[in-house]
Amino acid sequence: MNFDADVLVIGGGVTGCGILRDLALRGIRGILIDRGDLNSGASGGNHGLLHSGGRYASSDTETAAECRIEGEILKRTAPQAIDACGGLFVAVEGDDEGFIARFAARCAAAGIDCAPLAVDEVRRSEPAISERAIAAYAVPDATVDPFRLTIEQVADARRLADSLFLPHTEVTGFDIDGGRIRAARCRDTRSGEARIIRARQYVNAAGAWSMAVARLAGCDDVRVLWSKGTLVIANTRLTRRVVNRLRTPGDGDILVPGGTVSLLGTTSDTVADLDVIRPTPEEVDRNIEEGSVLIPALAHTRFIRAFAGVRPLLLPTGGDGDGRKASRGFTLFDHVAQGLGNFATIAGGKLTTFRLMAERTGDLVAARLGNREPCRTATEPLPALERSSWTEPGHSARTWFAAKNPADSILCECEMVPKSTVDAVLEMAPGAEPQMPLRAIGVRSRIGKGTCQGSFCAIRVTSHLYDRGTYGGREGLGLMRDFLAERYKGTRPVLWGPQMPQAELAETLHCGLLGLDLIDARGQDGEPR
Amino acid sequence: MSVSQASAVIDFKAVADRLLPAGSSYDSCLACGLCSSGCPASGLEGLDPRRFIRMAILGLDAELTSTPWIWTCTQCKRCAQVCPMNIDVSVLVGHARSMWPEEKKPAGIVRSCKAQMLSDSTSAMGVSPEDFVDIVAETAEELRHDDERFAKIEVPIDKQGAFFFVNQNSREPAAEPEEMRPLWKLLDYVGADWTYGSSGWAAENFCMFSGDDAAWKAMVEKRVDAVNALGCKVWINTECGHSFYTLWKGVERFGLKPNFDYASLVTYYAQWIREGKLPVNADWNTKGIKFTLQDPCQLVRKSIGDAAADDLRFVAKTLVGEENFVDMQPCRSANYCCGGGGGFLQAGMKELRHAYGKRKFDQIEATEATYVLTPCHNCHSQMEDLAHHYGGDYRVVHFWTLICLALGILGADERKYLGPDLQDVGLPQ
Repeated sequence: MNFDADVLVIGGGVTGCGILRDLALRGIRGILIDRGDLNSGASGGNHGLLHSGGRYASSDTETAAECRIEGEILKRTAPQAIDACGGLFVAVEGDDEGFIARFAARCAAAGIDCAPLAVDEVRRSEPAISERAIAAYAVPDATVDPFRLTIEQVADARRLADSLFLPHTEVTGFDIDGGRIRAARCRDTRSGEARIIRARQYVNAAGAWSMAVARLAGCDDVRVLWSKGTLVIANTRLTRRVVNRLRTPGDGDILVPGGTVSLLGTTSDTVADLDVIRPTPEEVDRNIEEGSVLIPALAHTRFIRAFAGVRPLLLPTGGDGDGRKASRGFTLFDHVAQGLGNFATIAGGKLTTFRLMAERTGDLVAARLGNREPCRTATEPLPALERSSWTEPGHSARTWFAAKNPADSILCECEMVPKSTVDAVLEMAPGAEPQMPLRAIGVRSRIGKGTCQGSFCAIRVTSHLYDRGTYGGREGLGLMRDFLAERYKGTRPVLWGPQMPQAELAETLHCGLLGLDLIDARGQDGEPR
Repeated sequence: MSVSQASAVIDFKAVADRLLPAGSSYDSCLACGLCSSGCPASGLEGLDPRRFIRMAILGLDAELTSTPWIWTCTQCKRCAQVCPMNIDVSVLVGHARSMWPEEKKPAGIVRSCKAQMLSDSTSAMGVSPEDFVDIVAETAEELRHDDERFAKIEVPIDKQGAFFFVNQNSREPAAEPEEMRPLWKLLDYVGADWTYGSSGWAAENFCMFSGDDAAWKAMVEKRVDAVNALGCKVWINTECGHSFYTLWKGVERFGLKPNFDYASLVTYYAQWIREGKLPVNADWNTKGIKFTLQDPCQLVRKSIGDAAADDLRFVAKTLVGEENFVDMQPCRSANYCCGGGGGFLQAGMKELRHAYGKRKFDQIEATEATYVLTPCHNCHSQMEDLAHHYGGDYRVVHFWTLICLALGILGADERKYLGPDLQDVGLPQ
């Protein structure tokens, strides 16, 4: 099947989705593609931290200020995806006193609201913080649900301009003629089918893969450093606020609440290959060892999974390749010097600054299309959709419990996701399609994200999908196996304490009871993993 | 019934961290659902034990604080028994009950607890010490008069230094005093050195079920003081489940100091049979009448464990004949609660209680037994009500009835719970 649009946006991360909506608000119809699904890369593998800028205040005033401004905008325009819980920077005995002493002034330089707090007061409100704390500051950090952000932006772009998202669609090449890209040659990574997408403008927002996409268009000016970060998810929420270690950024020094859980991270290791990104026990250990200095409970808390993402950091000319020192800034490449007039790449940046990245890209693309509409994403609220609030922990549970409908049985017990939610995702979530993999349902709901990591819900949801005719042959089993394998990738590095019997129970269910390890069905989930 | 405006939303995570043992807090939940599979309250009010835990983890504290499900959970601890991580939901349920505003709690449970506070009797049916003494004296006099074999029987009250202190469920003195006679007869038969107390004699404690810790403590204190004051060596709990649990658990929970041991009457039935003091057998059961047995959760799973289940079966099989005994499946420590516990019978939630009890009813029906033996008054009432509601044709009997029947000392007017098939069997000569 072939497609036509004003603009083809490559990369279903938060930036690509932001660009799709930015353009739609200017009346420009786009097609967004991703070789996997929404949030398959760094947008799905991060802390969910909406930086106040405090983290970068000491090293990069410009990025810090950008974070501050963008954070304020997002709190205004997309409050449904944000928990404005506030953040703390806390130092413990032995931390660099010079760094501590300079912190408030550095924040002030970036315009960040930063208030010193008495340590005993902080420990009263956040009892999990170490009694070895020696200094603390409050900053306006917040948390953001990156899944909700992407889903609602895609949905809004569809509403505004009939823009389209195509999952599991990979660019394999560009047809270039006369200094312009005439078509993108694509492949459906699930079916293997070829697709041709024709647009007037082409935008590369492929994150860690942007260098490869640029090269397909013959551009070698995009240079990205791959900095792998591993995070671990605790089973419960340990602090009300974001807690940052008040020191030069290092491993395991940010604990971010995520609804009902806490996320600890991250590590930072430069990698050379994007195909083997998985969290390792060593990285998990490093996070917990460092994190427990600030939050001692982390040493004995239950972790349910680890995950890894790759930060696509811009490599400055002559840079030494250290991910911690690389800029968190972004660059918009117009590729004019490469001889292309309708191709742009947006690279670098952060989750917090995605809107600004989308704005700059949108400005360029709109100008190239002769569209004079200004960017409206800084003021136009992102419509909150009932059908995307399912990514919010506890939302399904609360709705289901209030509805008191015994016929609407719960499929995922951990997160209490009922049949009706799964049905609604299948029918109307952005990127929904006739035969949806469990992974895709999980991205758009809370399926598989709880304590049991899919042990039960994978079976129940798959059964439900067979019952309603979504799956017919053996492929549903393959998709279930793919989903479980992906879950296990995250569980494997945290197998101690209660998560070990949890995994043994899962193995008994999936291998002992169902024999999933023996089936030869192909799931063709389409995830490049 | 629901609480629309709970006075304070409970932070269940904090409660669990405080009340549940380390490593067995809900944070350890594997979501395996063994708890829910084995819980007769599963599905009532949209909840089950796993869902309770999951909702606590998801922070749905407001919903859990106000759900009436906590009054359908009988706190039978079957969920805790099967949990691979030893999580005890009943502790959280007990806490939630304690946090409900008094006026929103099921009135029947609160009333029963209040009645217990009225006098030294600790009787949920409001029988005063004076009334109790009178009723016992009158009933004993009738017995001496009616039955030549027991013309000299003594029913001691407040006998200083008696070896056993025996408690008494209020239902008999209040409503059916003749049901006390079989117990007295068999105590007389074995030559037990026993006494009732005019204080702390009652064998029920609804203050635990109403979630009123202070009242629970006050009740247990009164009972412990009464036994201590008489200098008895062993407190025997009559055929009642929760009064046994609330006493020993209360002693542990509130740090009380009893100068006596506690035992279930069932343990002594078994001992006296083994010692030959109760020479019972099943010779009377010439028709091969089938019996099954209900293990009271409070006595077996929550207190003595399978040792009590063994004693119950030894006594039952000796009484009715091995071939006439049919166990329910599952049973012993894995037995399902019948739905009579936890104050459910007094809570006024009849439909829910019947729904809860359906599993027990089906279990009983599957045995095809004519009689259910149980040493628990709440089990007794609930299973009778289930038979009535679902159209079962079984009857529920106390052990003391069958023991006296087998001994040939069960009077014609002590057969209220026996059917027509046993009205004439083994009558005293």
